[in-house]
Amino acid sequence: MTSPAKADTDVVVPPRPRPRRGVSLLDAGPPIALVVIFAVFAALSSDFRTVGNVQNILDAAAVLAVVACGITFVLMMGSIDLSVPGVMGASAIAVALLVANNRNDNAWGLLGILVAVLLGAGLGCVSGMALVSLRVPSFMTTLGVSAVGLGVATLMFAGVQPNITDEMLRGWAVNRFLGLAYLTWIAVACVLVGWLIQRYSRLGRYAYAIGGAEEVLSLSGVKVAPYKVAVFTLAGAFYGLAGVMVTSQLSAGLVQAGKGYDFAAITAAVVGGTLLTGGRGGVLHSAVGVLLVTVLTNGLVQVGVSPYWQGGVQGLIVVAAVSAAVLPQRRRNQVTK
Amino acid sequence: MKSISRPTAAVIGLTLAAAALTGCSEEAGGAGGGAEAGGCAPEDVVLVGQVRNESNPYEAAWLDGGDAFAEQVGLSQDRLTYDGDSTKQQEQITQLLAGDTECLVMNILPNGDSDTLPIVEGAQEAGAYLVTQWNKPADVNVTDYDQWLSHITYNGVESGQQIGDALAEAIGGSGGIIALQGILDTGAAKDRFAGLEASLEANPDVELLDQQTANFSRDEALAVTKTLLTKHGDDIKGIWAANDDMALGALAALEQAGRDDVAVVGIDAVPDALTAIGDGTMTATVSSDGPWQGGIGLAIGYCVATGELSVDDIADEDRAWFAEQFLITGDNVGDFTSPEVDEADFECDNVFSRSQGAIS
Repeated sequence: MTSPAKADTDVVVPPRPRPRRGVSLLDAGPPIALVVIFAVFAALSSDFRTVGNVQNILDAAAVLAVVACGITFVLMMGSIDLSVPGVMGASAIAVALLVANNRNDNAWGLLGILVAVLLGAGLGCVSGMALVSLRVPSFMTTLGVSAVGLGVATLMFAGVQPNITDEMLRGWAVNRFLGLAYLTWIAVACVLVGWLIQRYSRLGRYAYAIGGAEEVLSLSGVKVAPYKVAVFTLAGAFYGLAGVMVTSQLSAGLVQAGKGYDFAAITAAVVGGTLLTGGRGGVLHSAVGVLLVTVLTNGLVQVGVSPYWQGGVQGLIVVAAVSAAVLPQRRRNQVTK
Repeated sequence: MKSISRPTAAVIGLTLAAAALTGCSEEAGGAGGGAEAGGCAPEDVVLVGQVRNESNPYEAAWLDGGDAFAEQVGLSQDRLTYDGDSTKQQEQITQLLAGDTECLVMNILPNGDSDTLPIVEGAQEAGAYLVTQWNKPADVNVTDYDQWLSHITYNGVESGQQIGDALAEAIGGSGGIIALQGILDTGAAKDRFAGLEASLEANPDVELLDQQTANFSRDEALAVTKTLLTKHGDDIKGIWAANDDMALGALAALEQAGRDDVAVVGIDAVPDALTAIGDGTMTATVSSDGPWQGGIGLAIGYCVATGELSVDDIADEDRAWFAEQFLITGDNVGDFTSPEVDEADFECDNVFSRSQGAIS
């Protein structure tokens, strides 16, 4: 049918390079969802659209944002991390016992906070080591490390709640700078640091690459194992800091300081566009996801949804938001597991 | 037959397992109690107190109360803990009942409702004297057993109402309050909230502005309270929390919001809450009196074992009953920071004196 001449012209004119539409839409989806959900709540509730409530949302998002920073690196690698409750619990009790408190005479101040963060990093390192040296899937190693962390926390807890009297740490939750609590600024700094690591350091770029195609990376001569351990250690440090932040907010060290933050952070990361299969997303995506989840929790209370309905409604909106976000990236014939 | 097909093997396996299990439960259910009660010399009585763990201040105080009673009658108490692990609790009970049970008295905190029945049937079989507290399935009747002397629990409706009334009084009888509910599908949360509703009816000028769940968690209560503070602002004069942990979370939120004009109440009398009440930052909480709980179960068992009290003489309404609980405010908080037991409470004609009526 087609003449040879026509076929020739087809070959000569190369197709115009088109942007990878799917990827850009995938990136835009969660922020758009955030704006839409925010606008809907703002229209529904006059209490929601006050400056005070926006401050409250940002303050409430702080701890989850720091946890999400850490877990994002693990998810980017295609691993999963369930050690959050244990690591946060251990660091929360540790910091409560190291700064000025009602249980002992310690008053280490900033050094105590540093030790708690390092404890978190240490537990993260254990997860990573178990993953690469014993070749146990991250799902199991991190679950085990979580139990270890809770065990350590329970031992240190010893039946009496440590309440902190350290003015600096208590002040982090109470004092404000430009309308936001110090803790919120710490979270902003964490997101920034996380983004810089992800974007500019070898660790961040390898984490992406491991999630995208680990075999290719190792075949090209890169030793993957040390980077995996490093990523889990980094994540542990973030969880440790989050445990310190919870202690600051409650002015008491709780064994269950990290309860529920593991799945909340994974949800936030996925809602923000970080894929559980790895190789996609990043710290900024997860930060958007954290804001989305926090706005949702806050908004449902502000518009006055009954507590008996909230859990279910929140779940539905999260599923809807995730499916809308990944819609452009879904291909025909793609298998969903 | 060369081999059995896999589904057939599975069915046979399951049937065998089921048969074995039925066998077990028949063994436990049959026979029926021995000891027609009353024959033990006081010095032969063995006292056992069992709670979840000693790292919990309330349960540690419970066991201390048991020790105090044991000392009163010149005996000692075996302190058992099972770390909140149902399996471990059952193992400990089995072990106990395998020994000499003729004069064994057990004061048990079952881990959950479903853990009570096996303990009861074990005690019935072995002829040990048993008192349980807090957890019991609603459809199991204590009167069907003669070794299960009594079951003691607390009326959540009443405690919810007590702190509701204390809150209403603290805010001067009128104004807005918010409520922090517990885990919505637990009996404790439902009962306590029903108590608040009753209190609100009695105090018509107190308005419930909002109610949210914080799942009995200090951390969640912090976030929820902050949100409600931005929503209702200065209209909030008081916060009703279904337990002390949430009340303490609400206190942290108030501190961060710079509010010191809000009254906060909770339930459980945890040490931090008592400190807060002593400081004047918290208004009220409710105590079940842990040391008394530790002593009273042993006392009832001891009285029956030694023959001073007969199971047949215990009125039906004293077989499963609500015990008295105490409202703690700034006025009486000093009495509860280092609780002590009163020997008179454990006299055999006095053991049911704190009853607030049978469990309906």
